[in-house]
Amino acid sequence: MTKQVNKADPQNWLQQYGDLLYQYTLPRVNDSVIAEDLVQETFLSALKGLDGYKGEASEKNWLFTILKNKIIDHYRKKSSGLSVMSMPDLQGADGGWFDEEGSWVENRMPKDWDAADKPLERKEIQKIINWCKDHLKELQQHVFTLKYMEDLDSIEICKILNISSSNYWVLIHRARLKMRDCVEKHRL
Amino acid sequence: MVNCKEATFLMAKKEEGKLSVMEGIKLAMHTSMCSFCKKFEKQTSQIGKESRHVHAENSLPDFAKDKIEKMLKNHSS
Repeated sequence: MTKQVNKADPQNWLQQYGDLLYQYTLPRVNDSVIAEDLVQETFLSALKGLDGYKGEASEKNWLFTILKNKIIDHYRKKSSGLSVMSMPDLQGADGGWFDEEGSWVENRMPKDWDAADKPLERKEIQKIINWCKDHLKELQQHVFTLKYMEDLDSIEICKILNISSSNYWVLIHRARLKMRDCVEKHRL
Repeated sequence: MVNCKEATFLMAKKEEGKLSVMEGIKLAMHTSMCSFCKKFEKQTSQIGKESRHVHAENSLPDFAKDKIEKMLKNHSS
């Protein structure tokens, strides 16, 4: 039996994967021009690396692996030159979820989602998530995107964004509080 | 005992298996008694799971397609 080997077919890339790659990239970088550039760079890198493509992964997965690295590079570049002192997301008030004892403030307590009239479709929830994510403060948005949309772990994210792990946990805690709050408000 | 603020903080670490045994016990004790934090954990984990699948519905704009088309032709010929 011969092992099936995938063959790359650059002539069809744009038609087959152009929209797919773009639709993945756009919510992860929040900027249509950057998303277009990253898709183009992905195809370009793929062309240059054609000899290295052994066909073990499907063409689609291979392109996505390249794209995901481009997205990480984008965040790495974005964060270089940022200093912790200029991170407003880390300073100031906590967002008012908890009182002095650290208990939930009465009107900020998580509500029961199951009690809503009709359960939301997954697509609907994903749309709300995307909207809410766009409304996070910059650095919270970056950690949220890399953690939950790109599925990276905290160690990788700290390296990419050049932040300390204690800063990371504060940022992700606040991002999670805000996201849950925002999704709740928009789903009810 | 931890409070709600600390409990919700620890939950993010728990997702990555980064809790010490003591923190794990404190968090579990708190969540078993606090229905709000229990909801928070469930809802936040749902958001985390769905986030991976977020996609835009827009297509790659035509002018970007043209640009990429040219680039692909130039480099593959």
